[in-house]
Amino acid sequence: MSQSGATVNEECITAYNDLKLNKKYKYVIFKLSDDNKEIVVDSTSESGPEYDDFREKLINAKTKGAVGKGPRYAVYDFEYNLASGEGVRNKITFIAWSPDDAGIMAKMVYASSKEALKRALPGIATEVQANDADDIEYDSLVKTVSKGTAA
Amino acid sequence: MAQQPLPSSVQPTDVYGGDEVSAIVLDPGYINTRAGFAGEEMPKQVLPSFYGHITSSNRDVFGDQAMYPRADFEIRNYMNRDSVVEDWDAATKIWEHALVNRLGIPRPTPPSKNGLNNKPKPAAEGEDVEMADEADLDETENYEKPMAENPLLMTEAAWNSPKQREKAIEICMENWACPAFWLSKTPVLAAFAAGKATALVLDVGGSNTSVTAIFDGMVLKRSVQRSPVGGVWLSSQIRSLFEASEPKVEVVPTFMVENKKPVEAGQPADARLKTFDFQISPSFRAYEEERVLKEFKESVVEVWRGPGRYLAPGNEDYAKNLPGRVFEMPDGSNQMWREQRFKVAEGMWDDNAAFPSATEEGKITKAQTVPGLIKAALDSIDVDVRPALLANVVVTGSTSLLPGFTDRLNHELTAMFPSVKVKLHAAGLSSERRFGAWIGGSILGSLGTFHQMWISRKEYEENGPGIVEKRCK
Repeated sequence: MSQSGATVNEECITAYNDLKLNKKYKYVIFKLSDDNKEIVVDSTSESGPEYDDFREKLINAKTKGAVGKGPRYAVYDFEYNLASGEGVRNKITFIAWSPDDAGIMAKMVYASSKEALKRALPGIATEVQANDADDIEYDSLVKTVSKGTAA
Repeated sequence: MAQQPLPSSVQPTDVYGGDEVSAIVLDPGYINTRAGFAGEEMPKQVLPSFYGHITSSNRDVFGDQAMYPRADFEIRNYMNRDSVVEDWDAATKIWEHALVNRLGIPRPTPPSKNGLNNKPKPAAEGEDVEMADEADLDETENYEKPMAENPLLMTEAAWNSPKQREKAIEICMENWACPAFWLSKTPVLAAFAAGKATALVLDVGGSNTSVTAIFDGMVLKRSVQRSPVGGVWLSSQIRSLFEASEPKVEVVPTFMVENKKPVEAGQPADARLKTFDFQISPSFRAYEEERVLKEFKESVVEVWRGPGRYLAPGNEDYAKNLPGRVFEMPDGSNQMWREQRFKVAEGMWDDNAAFPSATEEGKITKAQTVPGLIKAALDSIDVDVRPALLANVVVTGSTSLLPGFTDRLNHELTAMFPSVKVKLHAAGLSSERRFGAWIGGSILGSLGTFHQMWISRKEYEENGPGIVEKRCK
C-alpha cells in the first residue's frame, strides 16, 4: 500500500492512553511535524472539554508555510445516552480531518500517513473522515458514531 | 561550466534516503504519458503515448514534433485500450525518451570523461570535455545506467496484472539501473491527493472510465469497474453525430489544408487541399482527425446537467433554445451546434441516448454508463461501507472536465441513492484533474520519510521481480 512512511511520536500514544485508560482527556488532536516526518500531539482537552472548542480548533488548524487550512487527526471520546434507555455508552472515535480547502500537499501527506497513526492507537471504536465544517457537527457525528442508537 | 555530478561510486549509497531525492514520477496513460521530478507541481513532460513508426527504415520516433506527414509513416501506441502496456519494447523506448532525453536527468559521467583520469593539462581542457558530452546527448544506448541515481515511482491501473507489474520493475532495475522503485495505483493517488484515505474514485480518462472503491488506502479489488466510455469513445460519438448530420460533416485534419477561404455557416468548405507525393497511412490520418475531434470536444460538447435525462420529455426542446456554439473545421466550413452539443455526451449517462455505433466496441450497455459503473461498484461491496464512499466521491480524469459533468453526476447519484448523503470532490484546478495521479505520486515521492517504503535495488536483487507483488499492494 502506498504509505508516506511517517512515524508516530511516543507522546501520541501516551496522550491516547491518558484519554482511553485514565479518562484524563476528552480529546487529543494530532498533527504532522513541520518536516512531515512524524506525527505529534497538537493539543489536548486540557483547556476544557467543550466540544465547540474542539471543533473550533480543527476548523482553524493551519499548515505551516502553506496557504489555506490544515488537515489534522483527532481522537474524541464520545459519550451518549442510548435512545432505548439502556444507559450511557462511550465510543472512542478517530477523526481524519481534511478540509477541502487545504493545500494538495498537506492533504496528500495526511491521507498517506493516517494508517500509521491509526495502527498505533489500539481500541478505536469508529473512524470518521471529515472534510468540511458540516461534517464535524456534534449531533451528526454522534448519530454516525452511535449508528443511530443515541437519544 | 556546470559542475560535474559525482560519479555514483563515490556518492553515499543511501542517497535516495535523504530529503534531496531526485525521484522521478512516471504516469503512463493511453493518450498521454506524464513524467517529471517528484516534488514538482506539474509533470514537466506530457507526451503522447502514440508514437510514429517509419516502416521503410524500421525506426520509431517520439513526441508531438515528430508527428508530421511523411512517407511510410504509421502511428502506433504502446498502451492498449485497457490502459495497460502492450508493447514493452516501445514502452521502454518511449519512457527512456521522456525521462532521459526530454526530462534531462543528469547522467553519471563515464570514468573516461569525469576528469579524474585526465592527465593534467592547461585550462582549455575543460571546454573540450563539455563539447564531447554534448555530442553524446542523443546516444542514450551508450549509457548503461541512465538513471542510476534516480528512484522511480510509477503509476498503474487498478486492474494491472502481476506479470505487467513485474515487467515494470524489471525494466526499471535492469535497463535503467534505478536505485529504488515503487508502483502506486492511480485511484489511490487520486484519492490521497483529495485528502481521503477512503473514497469512491471515478476516473474519466481517455480510453477508459473506471470506478474504484478505496478503503483505508487499499483498493477494494471486487469494486473495480471500467468501461470504454471515456474520451476516445466520445470522439466516436462525435463521428456518429457528424455522419448523422444533414449535410454530413467531413473531418478534414489540419495537415491536409493548404489554404482556406471564409464561408457562411452551413456552406461547403472553400479550401485547397495539400497533395502529397507519398501515401498517408490510415493510422496517421486517424491520429490527426482525433486532434480535430478533441478540439470539438473541448470547445463545443457539454453534459446535460439534469435533473433528469436529456431524453426526458421537454428537455430536448429546451436545449434547442439554448445559445449554441459555432465550430469551424480546419477547412473553414463551420456551423452552429445547439442541442447536439448535449446529445453527443448523453450516452455516457443513458445508453438509450447514445448514437448508434458502426463498430462493435463503440456500442455500450446500461452497465457501461457512468451511473451503471458506480452502481455495480457499490453493489459489490459491503453495505456498511457504502455511505462512507458516497460521501467521498472523488472525480478525476480529463474527460470529467466537460462542462456540466459534475452537476449531472450529482443529480444522478442523489436520484440513485436518495437516503444517503452524496458528496463529490472534484478539484477546481483543471491541472489537478488532468494530472491527479501524477501530482499525488509527486508529493509521495518527494517525502523524506518515503525512503523506507521504496523497494531498494538490494531487495530486488535478493527477491527478484516478485517483490513488487508483496510490497506494492
